[in-house]
Amino acid sequence: MFLAFKEIKHEKLRYGLIVLMILLISYLIFMLSSLAIGLADENTEAIESWQAQKVVLNKNANISMSQSILTKDDVAAADLTENEAFVGEMSVVAKSKKRTSISAQFLGVKSNQFIYKSQELVAGRKAKNQHEVTVDEAFKQKGYHLGDKLKLNDSKQEYKIVGFVKNAKINIAPIVYGSLATWKKLRVAMPNVVASTIISKNANYKFNHKNAKTYELKTFINKLPGYTAQNMTFEMMIGFLMIISLIIIAVFLYILTMQKMHNYAVMRAQGIPTKTLVNATISQAVILVLSGVLIGLILMELTTIAMPPVVPMKFTPLIMIVGVVGMLVMGIIGSLIPVRSILKVDPAKAIGE
Amino acid sequence: MATIELSDVKKIYGKGTAQVTALKGIDFQANKGEVVLIMGPSGAGKSTFLTIAGSLQKPSSGSVKVDGEEITKLSAKATSNLRLNKLGFILQAYNLVPYLTVEDQFTLVDKVKKQGNLSRSDLHQLLEQLGISNLVKKYPNELSGGQQQRVAIARALYADPAIILADEPTASLDSSNVNEVGQLFAEMAKKRDKAVILVTHDPRLEKYADHIYEMMDGMLTKKR
Repeated sequence: MFLAFKEIKHEKLRYGLIVLMILLISYLIFMLSSLAIGLADENTEAIESWQAQKVVLNKNANISMSQSILTKDDVAAADLTENEAFVGEMSVVAKSKKRTSISAQFLGVKSNQFIYKSQELVAGRKAKNQHEVTVDEAFKQKGYHLGDKLKLNDSKQEYKIVGFVKNAKINIAPIVYGSLATWKKLRVAMPNVVASTIISKNANYKFNHKNAKTYELKTFINKLPGYTAQNMTFEMMIGFLMIISLIIIAVFLYILTMQKMHNYAVMRAQGIPTKTLVNATISQAVILVLSGVLIGLILMELTTIAMPPVVPMKFTPLIMIVGVVGMLVMGIIGSLIPVRSILKVDPAKAIGE
Repeated sequence: MATIELSDVKKIYGKGTAQVTALKGIDFQANKGEVVLIMGPSGAGKSTFLTIAGSLQKPSSGSVKVDGEEITKLSAKATSNLRLNKLGFILQAYNLVPYLTVEDQFTLVDKVKKQGNLSRSDLHQLLEQLGISNLVKKYPNELSGGQQQRVAIARALYADPAIILADEPTASLDSSNVNEVGQLFAEMAKKRDKAVILVTHDPRLEKYADHIYEMMDGMLTKKR
């Protein structure tokens, strides 16, 4: 550690540039990870707020809630308890006078079932009739107020916003919670249509009957449009960035080590143990990575504060820990390449040169 | 028992037609309290002699003993310990760690060798004697060649080794400094009871030597 610190202190510009590279990479990793988690959450935050475990859909709907219709026949034999709830889902464009139009997901729910009850209000109250709706707080962020009247798609009917709900997004779109009757009107559904899906909080719930099929929550989420592709894209970008950081650390330390081979030979000739030189190199990697990553963390915190709420960014302690540990591991692996060269230093090279 | 003793040491590099015999069976010994000069032209085998005497490489055949202990059979770790504890190297050039100040060069020795180094007052006295006590906060690149060489001498002496091996220790020094360094080596040998072996071209050091050897074509001949 002594040699590592002294060298960094003496070669401030050189090591400052390496720290800058690590800082930029770690900042990018934190940024992408935050966006990945933020977007993933916006896909599933409503589902998670319901604490759903199983989803019953029409088996021909390709595990898509918007393609699914459950009829009275399909659900006739369903054993429904307080842990199950009907949901009617469809995409809508919500608009109001002097407000921005918002692409949203309309969810028709029954007021005596758990999804209606589990809405976490940040303002207002829950809808009490077919002409009232509660909406995700994204509406509030876009300038909507309690009492605003919404029109959904081409419907002439207006729906009054009576509450703003926290964690009410599905597939990135904000949710408009209304009644099942409203959903049927919007969907122009046949009279025997009951809902799009049955959501259950019971992990053991199973209802496979006629066209109805029960799916694990994970299967349902992974089939959300774009969800898996989006996550894999982010994972690949983050993975490549980690590998790039490993290469940068390895290349920089290798070049620096090569430049110091004569010094190492002299130190080895003087009896400085190889262990001391190896420790110095690994310590340098750790110091450089920690410095870069910690400054990256601070920058990321500042970015999170400065970022408008519409940006789906979640900078969680998990991202911090995984980011720091990941970069540290990459740094240590990167430093092992120059360590190999140090182990091969011939102290006899110190003489007669 | 000699402090350092080489018996019938041969060193052969390469194979077949590329084979070069750098040392052709040399015998050498030095004792505590002596300054021994190894002189000779470039390519005579002086550096090879120094690397073998300093346990930096092993001979092709023959024996090297330090304080009666055969060192050619020691492991890499044991030879590293031997160099740290019993041998002090003073090298020709670039022999200071460039990113350590003069005082940090000594701290590095403290870090790896916890006991047996010179005391702070002895070190201060040594630095005064070498005329570098005002340079302790400087980095090597802020020193002249002569100052760097004197710092290197101080560093080698700081670990208080029994044997000092120097490769052209006066290469960058002017005559007055050569005399000071020569005197210092003589004092180290006499007062601190060390075996000082100097590989050099510099005839100005002859007056401080107890014995002088000449290396020529891999053969070592005692001149004095």
